[in-house]
Amino acid sequence: MSFLEYLDSRSDIVVQLTVEHAEVVALSILIATVIGVALGVATYERDRASRLTLAICAIFLTIPSLALFALLIPQLGIGYLPTVVGLVLYALLPIVRNTITGLRQVDAAVVESARGMGMGRWRRLRRIELPLAWPVILTGIRVSTLITLGIAAIAAVINGPGLGELIFSGLSRIGAVNDVNEILTGVLGVMVLALLFDLAFFVLRRVTTSPGVRA
Amino acid sequence: MSAPTPTGGSEAEPMIRLEGLQKRFPGQAEPAVDDLSLDVPEGEIAVLVGPSGCGKTTTLKLINRLIEPTAGRIVIAGEDVTHADPDSLRRRIGYVIQQVGLFPHMTIAENIATVPQMLGWKGIDARVDELLELVGMEPATYRGRYPRELSGGQSQRVGVARALAADPPVLLMDEPFGAIDPITRERLQDEFLRLQGEVRKTIVFVTHDIDEAIKMGDRIALLRIGGRLAQYDRPQRLLIDPADAFVAEFIGGGARVKGLRLVTVDDVELTEWPTARPGDEAARVLALLRESDRGHALLLDPEGRPRSWLSREELGRNGRPLEGLGETVGTTVEVDDTLHQALDALLASGAGAAAVVDPSGRYRGVVDLATLAAAVAAMAVNGHRPAGAEAEAANSERDPAAGS
Amino acid sequence: MSEPFVDTANPTAHRSVGQPVGQSVLSGTWRVLFTPLVLAAVCGALAVYLNAQDLDRQEAPLLTMDVIVRATWVMIQLVAISTAIVIAIAVPLGILLTRSFARWVAPPILAVANIGQAVPSIGVLALFAVAFGIGREGVLFALVVYCLLSVLRNTMVGLQQVDPTLIEAARGMGMSKLRVLRKVELPLAVPVMLAGIRTALIINVGTAILATFTLGGAPDGSNGLGYLIDVGIRLDRLDTLVLAGGVLTAVLALLVDWAAGLVEERLRPRGLET
Repeated sequence: MSFLEYLDSRSDIVVQLTVEHAEVVALSILIATVIGVALGVATYERDRASRLTLAICAIFLTIPSLALFALLIPQLGIGYLPTVVGLVLYALLPIVRNTITGLRQVDAAVVESARGMGMGRWRRLRRIELPLAWPVILTGIRVSTLITLGIAAIAAVINGPGLGELIFSGLSRIGAVNDVNEILTGVLGVMVLALLFDLAFFVLRRVTTSPGVRA
Repeated sequence: MSAPTPTGGSEAEPMIRLEGLQKRFPGQAEPAVDDLSLDVPEGEIAVLVGPSGCGKTTTLKLINRLIEPTAGRIVIAGEDVTHADPDSLRRRIGYVIQQVGLFPHMTIAENIATVPQMLGWKGIDARVDELLELVGMEPATYRGRYPRELSGGQSQRVGVARALAADPPVLLMDEPFGAIDPITRERLQDEFLRLQGEVRKTIVFVTHDIDEAIKMGDRIALLRIGGRLAQYDRPQRLLIDPADAFVAEFIGGGARVKGLRLVTVDDVELTEWPTARPGDEAARVLALLRESDRGHALLLDPEGRPRSWLSREELGRNGRPLEGLGETVGTTVEVDDTLHQALDALLASGAGAAAVVDPSGRYRGVVDLATLAAAVAAMAVNGHRPAGAEAEAANSERDPAAGS
Repeated sequence: MSEPFVDTANPTAHRSVGQPVGQSVLSGTWRVLFTPLVLAAVCGALAVYLNAQDLDRQEAPLLTMDVIVRATWVMIQLVAISTAIVIAIAVPLGILLTRSFARWVAPPILAVANIGQAVPSIGVLALFAVAFGIGREGVLFALVVYCLLSVLRNTMVGLQQVDPTLIEAARGMGMSKLRVLRKVELPLAVPVMLAGIRTALIINVGTAILATFTLGGAPDGSNGLGYLIDVGIRLDRLDTLVLAGGVLTAVLALLVDWAAGLVEERLRPRGLET
């Protein structure tokens, strides 16, 4: 069976797994963004705190994905929940790091003039610092998304959703019919999603970044 | 309009000669540098100055062939280097840029040693120390430091030392003091001029600041947009006798006052002034004043140092000893100060004159407005820096006003 | 000289994965020893915990010291060989692709490298297992291919981010292009290149664990540490096999990262900001 024939015959399941893959990544990134930006905002002004936060987040990214999922099993079992938790942990570092970097590289003169105009801590953060840091933060989110898309495939080992199922299925019967087709579909599906997400980030960047700070 | 060689150049062979130099960048309609010819005599500083986009930096990079010319010739020390091997050419030309460009991963010593190493020199360590001392940095302290541990001014000093390391006859400097704060810049300029007095390199110096050009240059080449030479002359002539409206506008207002910076008190003839000693009769001093038609007499102390300005009115009120009278002489001027400084002292004095003293503080004469006017007039005719003795000799025969 | 074409919108992308774990708030010797001491303690705790468990007939043979050491050794070999090959290919290639005559190829390569981060490592392993058959050869190819872009990208970015005025100063002093590369560009690119190699190492460890699925062989340690997790899940031995596998592979990865961090610190030219 050729690759296209295979795709045609299995389009239902392929589409379903692709959508699942996209969903679980999007959800994880959303959660990671909320947590990551919050951690960044909470620590960027204090050197020790931000370094400690980054060091801990770096540990999650250093631990092999398979090991990370495995370590979650005793607590969370297998399936959707540990997948999301694992992916969130994986996605944290680029987001936290870029939030801290972005907030720190906001021109001190701009912050000072905002203070001089009587803006309070939160207003300053919301109106001045976060908008100016946003392109850098968004870049971090984009990097996290790309990494997470690839890692999500491994979640199939713990019965997670998504395209990993096709890859592992093909892997488990190398030499049998459709082995390559399944693996290729899984890999290419993730690549297609990566391109789509990248496109989405391009649009998001255009829409959410002030024309004044667009590169 | 202006000849490639300015008046007063009696030098046999210029160290740097640019002939009909042109640079046309691909995809640009207008050339960046066009038909540029100029000679730089050995041991002089030629400043390339002009508005941004006038091709001054391009011209500089044409000389060490970081940019290859489209047409024209570059001759250094009599040798046509237009097609010479650029790497070995550059090892013979010191190069200083605004960003300094110290290699951050190398120590100060390693930075300075770069070219001597490429040339396979021996005894480089001693040379490095010598250069650090030359630019006023303690070798033991700075040798092993890294560039990021230096201030901007220190970095540029090291940059100059690095450029001088292999003792090149020619130095190219691209806005070397451009990124440095005004006070440090002033100091570095003075230091550099002093250094140049010792090393006597032939220097091409790029700046966009006409005041820096006037201060640093033995000659100034003013370029207009498109890399065409508007005027190439001694600073004095540029100030007093601008070739056209563009030059005049670029120099800006106060050209003559700027010109006063170029002449030292030493260069002009001091004016005689009525003086008095403690114990002199007021009436006698008054008579002296009437005779000389001055408003004030200068009271000297017993050691011959200027003490105060005595006005006719005060001398008229007789009876009091001279020591208690008059307006104390505030600022005096020494012989190596510029006329600009003399003007400042003159305006502060109230007597319309600035007292000039020798290094031990003894009175030598005064500078008054007539002295300044004569100096400005001399500049217009002269077009050279009276301080340069060689240039003086070269010019004196066709310059009847020289020195007056 | 011409503008560097670093993706300015993506200033931190070249360090997308690894950050020094040892970048803790401690200082001096403790900072260096902190990570291995903690990891040793974790291993000790694991040993105590496993000894307290009643291991059954299926678990016990998989958790012997012998098997674990062999599995770890297999992993280290895979990672070392593939990383060495990656460096040997990617660094010269990166140098070549940043020379002025090849500058036009850099942007597309960097774009591909960027999207390449999303490629599932297990997918690459699987495809090479199909192409070369189950076994070590395919795994090594997969590891090399998977990490190549990361090191290549960092080599290129590292060379491109060298301040062009430094290169001009060097050229202005009469350094030849080759000398500028050797004396200025490469030393200044080293930190970014090392970061890329460290990232590649970590990715390699993570991928080598997955190689348990394509290495074949019996679960006697000859197919890497991943077997504990794979078998553990299949036999539903979550509290013993899976936990031990997770902990051991995590410890291995963190140790490799720690060692890489030490090497990185040693090799970074002095005088550069830390």
